[in-house]
Amino acid sequence: MTHTPHRLEVINASIGYGERIVLRDISFQVPHGARVAVVGPNGAGKSTLFKALVGLLPMKSGRILIHGLELGLHKDCVAYVPQREEVDWKFPVTVTDVVMMGRYGKLGWFKRPSREDRAAVRESLEQMGVAPLEKKSIGELSGGQQQRVFLARALSQEPHILLMDEPFTGVDVTTQDATLNLLDTLRERQVTAIISTHDLNLASNRFDFILLLNKRVVAFGQPGEVMRQENLSRAFGNSLLVMGNGAMLVDECCPPDEEERHD
Amino acid sequence: MSKKSAIIGLLLVLLLSACAAQTNLASSTSPDSKPRVLASTSILADIAQNVAGDRLKVESLLPLGVDPHAYQPRPSDAAKVAESTVVILNGADYEQFLAPILNHVGGRRQVIEASAGLTPRAVPGDSASPGGDPHFWLDPNLVITYVKNIREGLMAADPAGAETYKANADAYINQLEQLDTWIKTQVDTLTPEKRYLVTNHEVLGYFADRYGFTIVGSVIPSVSDEAAPSAQQMAALVDKIRSSNAMAIFLDATDNPSLADQAAKEAKVKVITDLHLESLTPADGSAPTYIDIMKYNVDQIVKGCQG
Amino acid sequence: MKRNGMIDWLLGPLTYGFMQRGLAASVMVGILCAVMGTYVVLRGMAFLGDAMSHAILPGIAIAYIFRGNLLIGAIVAAGVVAVGVGLFSRKGNLKEDTAIGILFAAALSLGVALISTMQTFAVDLSHILFGNVLGVSTGDLWLTAVLGAGILITVGLLYKQFLVISFDPVLAATLRLPAELLRYLMLLLLALTVVVSLQTVGVGLSSAMLVTPAATAYLLTRRLFPMMLVSALIGALSSVVGLYLSYYLNIVSGAAIVLTATMLFLIAFLWKRLKT
Repeated sequence: MTHTPHRLEVINASIGYGERIVLRDISFQVPHGARVAVVGPNGAGKSTLFKALVGLLPMKSGRILIHGLELGLHKDCVAYVPQREEVDWKFPVTVTDVVMMGRYGKLGWFKRPSREDRAAVRESLEQMGVAPLEKKSIGELSGGQQQRVFLARALSQEPHILLMDEPFTGVDVTTQDATLNLLDTLRERQVTAIISTHDLNLASNRFDFILLLNKRVVAFGQPGEVMRQENLSRAFGNSLLVMGNGAMLVDECCPPDEEERHD
Repeated sequence: MSKKSAIIGLLLVLLLSACAAQTNLASSTSPDSKPRVLASTSILADIAQNVAGDRLKVESLLPLGVDPHAYQPRPSDAAKVAESTVVILNGADYEQFLAPILNHVGGRRQVIEASAGLTPRAVPGDSASPGGDPHFWLDPNLVITYVKNIREGLMAADPAGAETYKANADAYINQLEQLDTWIKTQVDTLTPEKRYLVTNHEVLGYFADRYGFTIVGSVIPSVSDEAAPSAQQMAALVDKIRSSNAMAIFLDATDNPSLADQAAKEAKVKVITDLHLESLTPADGSAPTYIDIMKYNVDQIVKGCQG
Repeated sequence: MKRNGMIDWLLGPLTYGFMQRGLAASVMVGILCAVMGTYVVLRGMAFLGDAMSHAILPGIAIAYIFRGNLLIGAIVAAGVVAVGVGLFSRKGNLKEDTAIGILFAAALSLGVALISTMQTFAVDLSHILFGNVLGVSTGDLWLTAVLGAGILITVGLLYKQFLVISFDPVLAATLRLPAELLRYLMLLLLALTVVVSLQTVGVGLSSAMLVTPAATAYLLTRRLFPMMLVSALIGALSSVVGLYLSYYLNIVSGAAIVLTATMLFLIAFLWKRLKT
């Protein structure tokens, strides 16, 4: 049987900053077009994982393969929608400027945007419902609008893998719906989506796979398998309360202890 | 070592160093040993050396070829001043770079102001030197006053050498008078319509007065070359040069020629770049003594004005 | 007649060759500094520009000692400072302004120390490179034009890349741009700009012209490319007006240009305030 490469494979990856290891020995495989929710307490390493997937943070050990090829051999295959605090909102760019940046990967070094690129940009804007805002400076937008603009940029990049860092946190309902609609569209296009979120309900109901992280892979698989008490205990530690009637409560406030507790 | 004795030790060290800094090194001069003489510039040092003769060695503070208007003193300069017992200054605010050292180096020393008794020319509109133009030494006649002041100063510092200093001074004054005559002869080869001077900054005023030249103007309208001219001043200078008979702009060897080059190009005159106005050359150079630099300068000026 | 008077007033200064060259040089330098100044303002590199203009001192001193070309010495020194800042402030080792402060002081002290040990019979070094716009020769003008054109062409070619690394370093990574390389290139272009403008217009002027016109343009525009154009326009305008002021009001040229640029900034600032 020929081995069809998964869209994304992470093999024994350890990732960290300087001397510190944040993610230890991570392994999982994501098929084409799948929708993965990355879940875990604060400080579990979700953002760190994304930075490594984008190529911003080199791995200390292990491999990351996209379509069976090493990370780094792909051009603009991975799109990333950042958390809102990471953006310089005072930079003099308009909505169109930002979304056009997504096309730069296709333009190469010296070409200028063509009519095709402009059409792609317009389409992305319309899809995210922000077309009327196309000439506005990004600083003039509301939180939800800003999010949708960056989604539009990710769309215009025509990626194979889309990463989103907490897109459902602190945004209005319109934006949440728009984001979910986007995810459906992406699935039709066979784009793999990997989203970090604190919304455990959403994760269980609307995602194909859940990656439960706490510095290591606690569990990876379909929601039914992953969201079980033993897994949640290992992930959330004492922030998880199991009540008499079987209900479980999670308080996500704090980063977990430095020490590994359940290995 | 306990903390207390460490602190006491540190205080003692500080106290001792403060005392050492204040020590009047001059007082270590016994009546027999001769004064240590320091002049501010190489030109002054040479003039003073001619008066001192073999009896004293006169050092120069400023190294050769350095622009005194922009000079930043170093710790070794403060040390040189501290070790001297006689300091010879030009005066008329020329040694602005030396003022902080003299004020703070401590000890006592005799200061000879070479230009004492001379009245500075006023330079209207020049804020750099409210004391007027200090460049007296470009007129050998005025240097005679320098020699007399230095002679008196050295006699006061070293009475035992009074006769020597008088004799040396007289001999040198003789040389200066001969120099003056020689210059007049050279200058006479220029007809009056050719006696126009343009310089980088205001430095040849006394020379012009003595030998009948007219100063058309200077690129930097100041006795110090630290200032920059405005466009209006540059334009005014160019106009003045054009309407006069000036044939050249004369620069000191240490001057930055870019402004003068542009003005000269505009006014269609030459640029002569190697006068020695504020410093001697090294011993193997073209003008290692005061009399040499004056002869060299006059040669250049006469040639330049000849056209 | 009034009309004639106006034309005479405009053309009067231009009868002097040094005014024509000075005007051309300061306009070119004004535009160049304004365009690079756009990045300086947006990326918070104002301190770096100032540091570089002083840090070239050891470069000239060393070039002089080895009888090399002083301009090359200056460019190398500015480049070393730029790259040094880049290295020291990588990935949060030091904050960028700390790195700049350290290197600036070190370079300046090195330069002063080197110059003070040289007791040769020579032109005062600190006058050599710190030019005066009225002293620009035709050769200087050509050099400025060629180098300036080179810098502007590079900025034009790499416009997209510089935009991305300035706005969104993460996107730069996803697009697989060589972000570090581009950052160093930008710093080197800045070093070249500083040196070219020092030769023409002197120390105090060059760092002001890097910051003020771009800051003014930032107040008046919403997008990057218009910001660059407006910045260049303001840079050129300040130079022209400044030189005319120097001619008619007898002010030192460098100061007049900087003051004009600052006045324009204040006007834009107040106008923006009144608008909101």
